[in-house]
Amino acid sequence: MKRDLISLDDLSLEDIRGYLDLATHLETVPDERKLTRLPGAIMMTMFYEPSTRTRLSFEAAMCRLGGRAIGFAAADATSVAKGESLVDTVRTVENYADILVIRHPKEGTARVAGEISLLPVINAGDGANQHPSQTLLDLYTIQRLFGRIGNLKIAFVGDLKYSRTVHSLIRALIKFSHLDFVLVSPESLRLPTYLVPPPEQCMDVTFRETQSLEEAIQSCDLVYMTRVQRERFPDSLEFERVKDAYCLDADILQGAPSHLRIMHPLPRVNEIAYSVDRTTYASYFTQVRNGLIMRQAILLTLLGVAP
Amino acid sequence: MSDTDRVLLIPKIDNGIVIDHIPPGFGIAILEIIRRDPAMRDVVVTLGLNYHSSKMGKKDLIKLWLDELSPRVVQHISLVCPGITIKKITNYEVERRYVIRPPQSARNLLRCLNPSCVTNTEPNVDTNFTMVDEEKKKLKCMYCERVFSLKDLKPIIP
Repeated sequence: MKRDLISLDDLSLEDIRGYLDLATHLETVPDERKLTRLPGAIMMTMFYEPSTRTRLSFEAAMCRLGGRAIGFAAADATSVAKGESLVDTVRTVENYADILVIRHPKEGTARVAGEISLLPVINAGDGANQHPSQTLLDLYTIQRLFGRIGNLKIAFVGDLKYSRTVHSLIRALIKFSHLDFVLVSPESLRLPTYLVPPPEQCMDVTFRETQSLEEAIQSCDLVYMTRVQRERFPDSLEFERVKDAYCLDADILQGAPSHLRIMHPLPRVNEIAYSVDRTTYASYFTQVRNGLIMRQAILLTLLGVAP
Repeated sequence: MSDTDRVLLIPKIDNGIVIDHIPPGFGIAILEIIRRDPAMRDVVVTLGLNYHSSKMGKKDLIKLWLDELSPRVVQHISLVCPGITIKKITNYEVERRYVIRPPQSARNLLRCLNPSCVTNTEPNVDTNFTMVDEEKKKLKCMYCERVFSLKDLKPIIP
């Protein structure tokens, strides 16, 4: 049976640990050996939304495993511009590749692609819903930074309403235990209530809301910053009102605990000043590096090839 | 006028279906679901509103002169109004009765409330909901993964 990577809700804790263990193992596999893992394999990238890291790291991951990547980075250069439906596009492109990677502004698109296609499908972001490959690389980064996923106090900051990386990561983290989440957002960008599970469904996980970034910095192990995403706002005036609600700079980090780490899925706009990059707290480019190795782990897992 | 007299305002049914214990106000909504099933076009139907009920205080009631309700209509009704009773009447006697429960999943019965859900933006994509909290009647869209209260979701009328 084929395997997809559509939603964190589909993954057990064991599945997640499998991806993390494989990524850890891949760190030790020599580059020349990796090149022999997927020779001749073709990955199709279907990106209906802009992307830098996700698309390029998937393509680089495939190339480093000996395969090739083809696809489109904008739908307006395809028959979608002529009105072709998603279903027909998937049924067409699946003839040209061994695995599909899809990003789309509408929620649930990757699920539809996974149902239609006989190939493994990777959700590279579906609207405000999920971004599971980002989540797996975030979990891998957390594990490498802290040596554990659990017994951590994590602040999510910024756009918690529309951020699919936050939605995905919270869905994954609640499968672990002993976690305290501090949710820092403007009133209009609060985390949707349907993402907060009833207490009986998670092991010792708490949620608390605040509007104080300073307090979160002083009390948390990890601060996960997010960009306020212009493209998700139905009302541009509301975007203007909240776009710079939380800006992290080196001054705010004065006196922060030394073990604090800052993550961000990138791209950033104004929410993290460049002065933070030079501090020991900054871990967002570590995420970028980990993204390549985790996406290799995802491709190997879904294509059923040993590392 | 006594309660018995009032009940007699709806004729007794010899052979057919009685939908009973409908919370007051829901009778018309259920009739609307039934009416839109093409197979129901020529069926004789009576509707009673605000009848006295010893269990519920007041209730609505529908009688249909037909053999069976289609499974799709029953599913639709169960989503709009779970907990009501359906009785199969033969020769003026209740041959069979069952209480309908909300289904554990509903494919192409309800419309997703999320305007950015792929089921609202792509043609030929069926909706699909799964019950995630039976007590609070919460359903999750299997595509956009949002959770909604059943009372907020609108049925898809074929």
